[in-house]
Amino acid sequence: MSEENYDPNKGYIALLGWSLNAVEAADKFDRRYVVVAPDWAETYCKEHDIPYVPWNFERLNDRSFEIAQTLKDMGVDVAIPLFEETVEWAGAINSVLLDQPKLFGQSMLLRDKALMKRRAQLGGIRVGIFEEAHDKDDVIRFLKRVNQTLLKLDGDPNDPIHLKAFDKAGCLGHRVIRTPDEVDTIPEEEFPVLMESHLDGWEFAVEAWIHNGKIAFLNISEYVTLGYSVFVPATPDLEKYREQVTREIEKLIKTFDIEFGVIHPEYFVTSDSTMYFGEVAYRPPGFKVFELLEKAYGFNAYQAMFMVFDPKTTEDEVKNFFPKEVVDAKGYAGCFGVYPRRRVVSKLEMPEETENHPYFESHELTPPLEETVTKRTAFGTHWGLVYFFGDDAYTMRDLLKHQEELDFYV
Amino acid sequence: MSNSDAGKTAPVVDFDTLVRRLDDAIAALAESRSFTKAAKLPRVFDIVRRVLLQPGGCQAIQDRAEKLEQAGVFAGTDWADPSILLPNLTTYSLQSTHPDTIVVEAMSELRLLAVALGHYLHPSVSAEQAHHYLTQVLAINLRLLSGESGEAEREQGKLALVSRALVQHIAAEIGYEHVIDRLIDEIWRILEQRPIQVNSVRQMITQIALCRSDPSVDLGGSGQGAERLISSLYGPTQACREDPGIPVYEERLSHMDFGALQSEATGFARSMHDTGLVSPYHAAFLRYILTQEQPMITDALGLSTTGRDCLMCYRSLVYRLIEESVFPETAQGIYGLALLLDRGILYQPPIEPALWRQIQLPLCQQARNRIELAYGYQPSARAWLLQGVLNILGQPLGVGQGNNPTCQAARALSMWAYNDPDYLLQMVAWAAREDEIVMHFEGNPVSSAKSQGGVASDVTLDLDPVSLVVVPHLDRIYAEMGRLCIGRPGDPHQWVNPEFHGWSAGRGFRINVDVATGNLMELEDFLRHFYACYHPHCNGDQPLVHPQPAGVAITDSAARFIGWHAITVLRVAPDPEGVMRVYFFNPNNDSGQHWGNDVQVSTAKHGERFGEASLPFEQFASRLYIFHYHYDPLEKDEPVEVDDEEIRKVVARVHRSWGRDRLPADTMQASQPPSE
Repeated sequence: MSEENYDPNKGYIALLGWSLNAVEAADKFDRRYVVVAPDWAETYCKEHDIPYVPWNFERLNDRSFEIAQTLKDMGVDVAIPLFEETVEWAGAINSVLLDQPKLFGQSMLLRDKALMKRRAQLGGIRVGIFEEAHDKDDVIRFLKRVNQTLLKLDGDPNDPIHLKAFDKAGCLGHRVIRTPDEVDTIPEEEFPVLMESHLDGWEFAVEAWIHNGKIAFLNISEYVTLGYSVFVPATPDLEKYREQVTREIEKLIKTFDIEFGVIHPEYFVTSDSTMYFGEVAYRPPGFKVFELLEKAYGFNAYQAMFMVFDPKTTEDEVKNFFPKEVVDAKGYAGCFGVYPRRRVVSKLEMPEETENHPYFESHELTPPLEETVTKRTAFGTHWGLVYFFGDDAYTMRDLLKHQEELDFYV
Repeated sequence: MSNSDAGKTAPVVDFDTLVRRLDDAIAALAESRSFTKAAKLPRVFDIVRRVLLQPGGCQAIQDRAEKLEQAGVFAGTDWADPSILLPNLTTYSLQSTHPDTIVVEAMSELRLLAVALGHYLHPSVSAEQAHHYLTQVLAINLRLLSGESGEAEREQGKLALVSRALVQHIAAEIGYEHVIDRLIDEIWRILEQRPIQVNSVRQMITQIALCRSDPSVDLGGSGQGAERLISSLYGPTQACREDPGIPVYEERLSHMDFGALQSEATGFARSMHDTGLVSPYHAAFLRYILTQEQPMITDALGLSTTGRDCLMCYRSLVYRLIEESVFPETAQGIYGLALLLDRGILYQPPIEPALWRQIQLPLCQQARNRIELAYGYQPSARAWLLQGVLNILGQPLGVGQGNNPTCQAARALSMWAYNDPDYLLQMVAWAAREDEIVMHFEGNPVSSAKSQGGVASDVTLDLDPVSLVVVPHLDRIYAEMGRLCIGRPGDPHQWVNPEFHGWSAGRGFRINVDVATGNLMELEDFLRHFYACYHPHCNGDQPLVHPQPAGVAITDSAARFIGWHAITVLRVAPDPEGVMRVYFFNPNNDSGQHWGNDVQVSTAKHGERFGEASLPFEQFASRLYIFHYHYDPLEKDEPVEVDDEEIRKVVARVHRSWGRDRLPADTMQASQPPSE
């Protein structure tokens, strides 16, 4: 295994969190690696000769220095966060490993959605109206204020507001609130939350690999419907903003003082081509975008991430690693997250039209464990992904959209 | 001769792209680290399944057998070591409802096929061993060659196509000669049930014929019994013995004298009644004598005295039916016509005019499309439907549901053809002409055109012409009646069955399963009631008047529950050996199923009429979960008269099979003798 096959001139990396695909990518790559994961992963790692250090990622505490020291003693050069929950750990550890105390502060900024927005605002990046809420009254007040600002009269339908947990990834805990009545449906334990005004625009995501403070590769992921489907590269309709997006990312790099790593921000572009910043994460995106990128371009996005994190990586290696955005893509890769549409389901049944579509690749759906489908309150978690690949962006987009009307569980 | 391969129309899929995806997935699996293999397997399995569903799919997998095995598809399973595999177990895996089980079995068989053919040098199994193993697999899974599906295959849905394609592929590659004798027995077993749909039997016979005429195949001493089967299709009489082709045969007919024609007529009739199969030459012959020697039709149909009388009384109708429906493609209708005449149902006043209507019936586009899709354009959709009508009226118990979950609709068709044929003809007329059937549920009309959808999402084409046209309507009505019962306590069959099948289905209803929990409910009481209504020793020797719908819990050969199934109880009577048996109709295409423990459903040699299935009363009762009865003084519930010992035996059988996991918590002791 790679224990013997690594290149001694390259860095020694630590992966924070357990992701099979990331481990495999590391194992096939040319760098020495170690997995830092909770102790439930131990047996598995031993069985398969995966280098491993046990660590339970809870909130940062007094013992946090211990893991940094352990890794430093092992000769690890850099720690790489695989999940939202390990971002601040990576910051803390890297501030020790790389002797750059600012990295910890930076990671804290990237972990708190409210702080992050303030910082972005300070850097001259456009954001919507936002505020923290500590209880339901705060939410009602914000809802009213936002709609006053929009010059709505009593009785006019409200513009919705969005509620998100400060520190959770993606759609977890994301709610849309339109009326004060709906506020009552929020459980107390979800507070505090971040509230944002609704931006009417086209939402999309970006994944940018940064090395030496410069963009090494920039992907635009097009959402067909938020929380349901995504594909890469984006349609020409969205790719026409690439120049503008690049400038926005450069602002972000500057504002957050990012030297290296992978950032995954979300933006809205409104009808007058103004970009609004939504949020940014310092980790691989959800919805298997890394896997989609590999399918579309052929490079392993995890390995790309390890490379840009590694302080021993040379400019040349980075330059040679990445293909040219969009033009080098072999096709469009997309995926669709399935939510059961019926209240009671008994089995998984792939719709024939999906299964027989020339773009259909594979799926990760499993038969239902329970017959009754829990009602979705927040955006929730899908039951599995369905993958597609093909050569036309618009066919892909329409195909993904169409999946929303099909039953996968009956 | 019609060889329309109905019901197997694979959806249009770009096979090359699919195979490329397969290669990608195999490569990804092969390159993956040991610890991610498990995560990459589902993709490979899913694509393999999709490939196997396509024509040529088995070959594609066979070609990649070595790569698949080396990529690790068998790693960590029993299949990793082919030398320990048992041919016997393949029956279970090929009938599984789990896609992965079938896929892994298929990959393993195809790997061994590659080994047997010398394309793959396997480290642990030789070509001879692989060949031997595969012949055993073929012999055990012959049923899949015949394409007659039972309830287990039906429950599998599309997966059954994979198992069937696999076995057919292996047979074609390994050679039929290794299994030919077993295959012949199997064909006879199916023919003894006299199914209407004989396409798959015809195909098998054709395979055997090809095999016998292939000089490179050494059959040795096997295949002797094939002669009667092959000749019944390709040369039943002196003048067509060597299968000369229809035009040559017609030419020969024109030179024959009366005696020669007479001998042809009896030859055809003998062969037809012997096998239930009709040769296309028979059709050519019948059309010829219709113009030249009409009186000889009686002999050509091999009629009984009843049939002969019927023919005399309704001569012009019968001649017209032959003219309109008997063609070489639709030859099978001759058998239906002969049995229809023998049944004497033409003496029922509405039948004659209803058949005249049928002859002239214009078909709506939808009905025409379905028939043409399944049977082609020759001679015409109308002729095909007419052939179907003759067959269903002649062989009411020959109806099969095909690969559809529509046992209720098939059962209804059979029941009407059996005891209410003019009603059936009315249904056919509505469905074929108006594309709509309206039935009534508790006084309210239920239209097939307005119903939301049937039990079956899509009724397949592997059906006889009448079912093809009528079943989609019946299925929707049946489902709609079920929907009208939503919210009522208990099982909806209670109300639906009598309304759907007609007045002759009893309104009295018993069920031994609690719908809410799925547990057994009042089992002993249920059985006593069944004995009291149906067993001649308990009901005062009253034979069953009308066939009654009933529900059975189908179990597989290991006595495990598969699903609920609709059947018709036809009669209860002692068999030639004096064993009291229930004779019933099973809408599955092959009724001869093994239901586990010692319950082997018999279809012949126990007093069965063509198309009947039978079981000893006790064994039948042990699989029954729903029956109907009439409130009738003669069929009154008299539980005292039923033998306690007998009931205990039946209860024990239920508990050993489908009732195993259905014991309600408070009656766990029910299988033990009650302390009296």
